[in-house]
Amino acid sequence: MTRLLKYLTLLIGAVVFAYPFLWMISGSLKPELEISGLGLWSSQFSLANYEQVLTRIPISRSFLNSLIVSLSVTTSVLVFGSMVGYALAKLQFIGKGALFLIILFTMMIPFQITLIPQYVLMVKLGLTDTYAALIAPTMMSAFSIVLFRHFFIGIPNALIDAARLDGCSELRILFRVIWPLSKPTLITVAILTFMTSWNEVLWPLIVVRERTLMTMPQLVTIFVIGGEAESQLGLLLAAATLLALPVIIAYAVFQRYFIESMVHTGVKG
Amino acid sequence: MSDGPFLSLLAIVCLAGLACVPDEKKLGESPSSVIQLTYWPAPNQQEVQLADSLVRMWNRMYPAVQVRVQPIPVSQSTEEVLLAAIAAETTPDICSNIWPGALHEYTKAGGLLPLNQFADFDSTATLRTPRELLNTFRSEDGQFHQMPWKTNPVMMFYNKKLFREAGVDRVPRTYSEYLAIGARVTRDIDGDGRIDVWMGERDIRPIWWQRLFDFYPFYIAASGGQTLFRQSEVVFDNDAAVQVMAFFRECYGRKLFPLTFFQGGDPFLLERKATHFGGPWNIATIQKLAPHLEFGIAPLPVPDNHKGQVYTAGDYKNIAIFSNTRHPREAWEFVKFLIKAEHDLLLLQIANQIPLRGDLLTNELFASYFRQNHAMVTFAEQAVYTRGMDSAPDLKEIFDVISQEYEAGAVYGRKSPHTAVQDAARRARMIIRWNQ
Amino acid sequence: MKRIVTIALSLKKSDSAGFWLVSPYLIFFLLFVAYPLVFSFILMFHRWDIVTPMEWVGLKNFERLFADPLFFKSIFNTFVFLLVHIPLQIIVALTLAVLLNSATKMRGLFRAIYFLPVIVSGVVVTILWQQLYAFDYGVLNTFLTSIGLPRIPWLVDPDVAMTSIAVMATWKNVGIYIVLFLVGLQTIPRELYESASIDGADTRKQFFYITLPMLNPTMVMIVVLSTIGGFSLFIEPFVMTGGGPMQSTLSATLYIYNQAFYFNHMGYAATLGFVFALIILAVVLLQRKLVETESVS
Repeated sequence: MTRLLKYLTLLIGAVVFAYPFLWMISGSLKPELEISGLGLWSSQFSLANYEQVLTRIPISRSFLNSLIVSLSVTTSVLVFGSMVGYALAKLQFIGKGALFLIILFTMMIPFQITLIPQYVLMVKLGLTDTYAALIAPTMMSAFSIVLFRHFFIGIPNALIDAARLDGCSELRILFRVIWPLSKPTLITVAILTFMTSWNEVLWPLIVVRERTLMTMPQLVTIFVIGGEAESQLGLLLAAATLLALPVIIAYAVFQRYFIESMVHTGVKG
Repeated sequence: MSDGPFLSLLAIVCLAGLACVPDEKKLGESPSSVIQLTYWPAPNQQEVQLADSLVRMWNRMYPAVQVRVQPIPVSQSTEEVLLAAIAAETTPDICSNIWPGALHEYTKAGGLLPLNQFADFDSTATLRTPRELLNTFRSEDGQFHQMPWKTNPVMMFYNKKLFREAGVDRVPRTYSEYLAIGARVTRDIDGDGRIDVWMGERDIRPIWWQRLFDFYPFYIAASGGQTLFRQSEVVFDNDAAVQVMAFFRECYGRKLFPLTFFQGGDPFLLERKATHFGGPWNIATIQKLAPHLEFGIAPLPVPDNHKGQVYTAGDYKNIAIFSNTRHPREAWEFVKFLIKAEHDLLLLQIANQIPLRGDLLTNELFASYFRQNHAMVTFAEQAVYTRGMDSAPDLKEIFDVISQEYEAGAVYGRKSPHTAVQDAARRARMIIRWNQ
Repeated sequence: MKRIVTIALSLKKSDSAGFWLVSPYLIFFLLFVAYPLVFSFILMFHRWDIVTPMEWVGLKNFERLFADPLFFKSIFNTFVFLLVHIPLQIIVALTLAVLLNSATKMRGLFRAIYFLPVIVSGVVVTILWQQLYAFDYGVLNTFLTSIGLPRIPWLVDPDVAMTSIAVMATWKNVGIYIVLFLVGLQTIPRELYESASIDGADTRKQFFYITLPMLNPTMVMIVVLSTIGGFSLFIEPFVMTGGGPMQSTLSATLYIYNQAFYFNHMGYAATLGFVFALIILAVVLLQRKLVETESVS
């Protein structure tokens, strides 16, 4: 009996979390008048709403923009984050302790305080309406540095010393010796960074006004609140589905990594 | 280790390199003896069409001064675009979509040329616009930075059929009449528990410019033509404002206006609301999208004890020359060209907007237009009895505050109309004080 | 001996190597952290619309802030949000995590479904819930009326709207906390339960005296993360309500955004950001202290 109750509760939970997505996808395929119904099936499924969205807003371009931005940010965070993490974990240099404290401190700064000055910086550098404005402020992250340092400390020094004896430079050691040993951490940082970057809306809304440069979530936001959708539900749902699809596909493939990575977000609290 | 410094260098180069996204704005500047002027009209279809035909005429007549039409970029509001252009010194020479409410910001940024420096400004302007009205466009420093061009008086549209069906045979002139008629017009026709026809409807979200179609014109009407400020002081905490607030409170409280968003299109066109407050551009929309709709146009309702002329707000759009221009004299000639009587006729014909002229109904030139477009006569009669926008800092935020207090005092009735008006004025004063 | 010398030499070499490796970060830090912090401090004493030159206004921004009803309103709204969001989040996450922990079949599948809203953009979730919450024809109200209940004014009533947004935010984020609780539950040693049942403690007692205290670190994390999330709430009200009705969903970040990018008040927005940041830090520190001392007693 309690077993039944248990699985019933879990099932209700699953319906609560999954049904809205199914409703969204089905609604995006339905004709306008059928959408508000509770059911998921319609005899008149069509791609008309998607055609409309694709002609009204440059959404494929925005997909490309998002991809460029998120990939650049992720690459940069991995490369530079692991460099700093490696230096903090395995090398001696002046001010190392202070630097680590500074990095921990930056993690505590609420973004509300730096938002406006960062925008002003972009204006002063003439970077508004460029990819640079979207990428530069998130090129490195204190959180990833801390994560890398934490993992690298556990790597035996003997490995590194041996590589040094072979005449490897520190960078070569990092990318040829350390990286292959750190795949789980690299994947975690990559997924977290990519997801955060992909889903970011506030910053793009601030620094990009040019439609052809907008990221995907930004363009969809503008589409929804700017009245271009003329409050047609089908168009809104189609745009939302297009925005959700890439992430859902990635999630379906790398599900385990996603969940494990997100558990690490707890670490920074 | 040798590649360590190289990599950090690379990081710097990357950061800097990202900045070098190619700039496409510097195209098409041809060096020649022909003077080039750039003119930004409002980005709507009719006004672009008007601008195109006027400029084609000009370019034929004056080959030495060629004008290029470029609709204002639409990504944001005109005000934002113009301010950004002033900052970046990428302004056009002339723009005909200057909202007087934003003039303070433009002149503060040093973006506009004083037009009274041209010897014939006064004669040109008064020939067209009555002096009393012209004076309301003077900047705080006593100069004129704008040439009054057109106005869109806000008036009441009413649906004759819906009135008739409810047994109403006259147009409401006062608040009590409006509310009494509203009680008869607002009905649930099919008996499903949902109201099918409303007396009126306004977007209930506190969007600042929505107040330009309810609170603000009603306030101007109720106060006999006063605006929010007098000599840069907030003066709208008076009986007129409270009466307006109380009137809208009744509209929502008695459920003559819906409290939710209206879905499915314009309710006036769909004949789901009996009255609509709007400008002359609505006529073209109605004729195009709902040709069978029988409508009338009347002045806004006023408090029961109101006497005299009924004023209203006119959504003015004026012409200005930017101080950045290299050819002020030619630009001024072009401005004078834009406001010629024949071109005002085109403004009426193409854009359905009212030129700010005193002689609209007396000048023979316009007579045939008004004979054919009878609905526009009411607007033309109203045109001189309109008031615009004070030139004050942060008007947008002040209207935002008014919107919030309107929401509290009228839409939801969580405050008394009196308190809502007092609070709005107090908060507006705070904004003004912060700006001094 | 020779070996040691070589290692010592390479260590010395690594001294400068370490510096070079961190130098990109130093540049980044100066540009995107240090400079904004310093500049935000300068901005607070200025009025500036970006277009015209900055004007020194002394403490006027702070004067305005303490007389600004919207500043207080946005703090109040954030606390309303947290008051609904945090307990709801903990209850739902804990219930589902405990059930999942004891279930063996299809645990992975359930976990994956619960986690789905976490990875999807907030924009998607907001568009979706805006339709679910619609008053006349929304799915939730259609469902309610079909089982004979009245419609709920989810987003149109000033007293309800923020709660609706908090419920939506819970739906979106609770997946993370289910997983975190699951991790926490699995670190509780089995022996604790065994010895407790020998002492005659029933399941209920075991839950309150073993499970809950052992999950305390996870709780602290949830409370802190939710608080930061509450103050960062932006896209949900921005898309759904624009901060209305009657400013009841105006969040701290939305208000900063409006002041900066709607009214062009950079100085005042920086002041708001600074004060909100102080409040966030204070609240988070206070919560840590409270939750931690509670677990001690």
